[in-house]
Amino acid sequence: MDRETLRKLEMLNQLSLTEEQKESVISFFEKRDSELEILNAIDTSNVERMVHVLPIMTVVREDEVIKTFSREDLQKDAPETDEGYWCVPRVVE
Amino acid sequence: MEFFTVKKDVQSDLKIVLDDMILTKDMPTTAGSKMLDGYMSLFDAQVITKLTEANYAICGKSAVGEFAFDLMGETNYKGALCADGKILNASAEIVSAGDATAAICLDANGSVRRAAAQYGLVSIKPTYGTVSRYGIVPVACSGDTVSVMAKSSDICTDVLSVIAGHDEKDGTSHSDELCAKLASGAEIQPVKKIALLKSMLAGANAEVCAKIEKAKNTLSENGIEVCEIDDSVICASRVAWNILMSAELCNNVSKYDGVKYGYRAQKFSNIDELYTNSRTEAFGELLKTAILFGSETLSTDNYMKVYDKALRMRRVIVEAFTEIFSRFDAVLMPACSSMSYPENIESTKAFEENTYTAPASITGLPAVVSGSVQLVGKAFSDRSLLAVAKILEKEGK
Repeated sequence: MDRETLRKLEMLNQLSLTEEQKESVISFFEKRDSELEILNAIDTSNVERMVHVLPIMTVVREDEVIKTFSREDLQKDAPETDEGYWCVPRVVE
Repeated sequence: MEFFTVKKDVQSDLKIVLDDMILTKDMPTTAGSKMLDGYMSLFDAQVITKLTEANYAICGKSAVGEFAFDLMGETNYKGALCADGKILNASAEIVSAGDATAAICLDANGSVRRAAAQYGLVSIKPTYGTVSRYGIVPVACSGDTVSVMAKSSDICTDVLSVIAGHDEKDGTSHSDELCAKLASGAEIQPVKKIALLKSMLAGANAEVCAKIEKAKNTLSENGIEVCEIDDSVICASRVAWNILMSAELCNNVSKYDGVKYGYRAQKFSNIDELYTNSRTEAFGELLKTAILFGSETLSTDNYMKVYDKALRMRRVIVEAFTEIFSRFDAVLMPACSSMSYPENIESTKAFEENTYTAPASITGLPAVVSGSVQLVGKAFSDRSLLAVAKILEKEGK
């Protein structure tokens, strides 16, 4: 993990680390890299990926209109609203 | 720092405390994060509906670590709960004090099992998909399991029989037919032979090893054969689970951006700063590390060699358990490396300590903690494990 890759990861995840945190994360990644050897020691080339551990099928249901929540309810936890809209800084320059 | 939000005037012999990962309409749900400080859900989790229908009374919410990702709750945004230099767990404190009959908690990274082991309580992480996750703050969806913690296996059994069941609102919920195995206990297979995963003892301290030895003797005295085995594949669960769990967490918390709900930074000059400052100020150090790690495993350069590898490892681990279960009824192992954690412990220790809890998390297998040790069983063998837990529970603190 180099500084440039970390900067890119911070940007992608909308995070900004302090210098101290960066050192700590880099050291964490170095440790994780060495641990990957534990997995690489096990041959999985002929093994299929397992996303679901148990036989769970994709759920399909009728496309019906049901009552959910009102806009007013959904905006109760909003940081800032105005006349029923969520407010954010101007996004178009 | 309080252990929990208390609901006043709850008169019941069947009090349930919910951990703060479970959405409640009438109390805030913070997931232990500044990001959700004061957040009020518009609906109750499915487990609450089921419990109240069965006359259980919700008596409050217990504090959790940020997104239940840590050891036992120490990364809560309001600070760690500590006493005598040791980390405390809110749910376990409440249950131990008798303030609630049982706690319903999210087991995402094993914190529930570690707490039950250290407090000498009984806990059950049911087979994945048998208890609805509807209304649970998601962390690592493929392993997140609503669990029960109580003073006895009988209480865990009673509560589990209420909360288990199919829920059409949860896409990973099993059929009622399969869930009924937990609810009715009609198909309890007696546990006769248990494998002790000896390789798991290498990192555990003397006190934990003594608990395992004691459990082994108690089981033998009760006619259950315990044989020592080694399995390096199951021991590799931690590395694979850390990858999958962090990748899923990274996706699940990407929605917290300071726009629709949750914490919003005071200072920003454009939309990017709003996102970045809100997330940077609200998330703790462990969560940030996990997000970055998860994001890196999903990147173009690492997807195949890291994330894809971990998904393949999951199958290898499941097959290793299947082979063991062809010879044994359950696997015995510790739930943690020591019987307490110092309050100044490094936050990323959670990535190491899940050595003991990752095997059941990554496979979705049921796991009980009783007598401060952990038993992992076949899928849907929850009631059989609880029967063994009853034998061991007197060995707890």
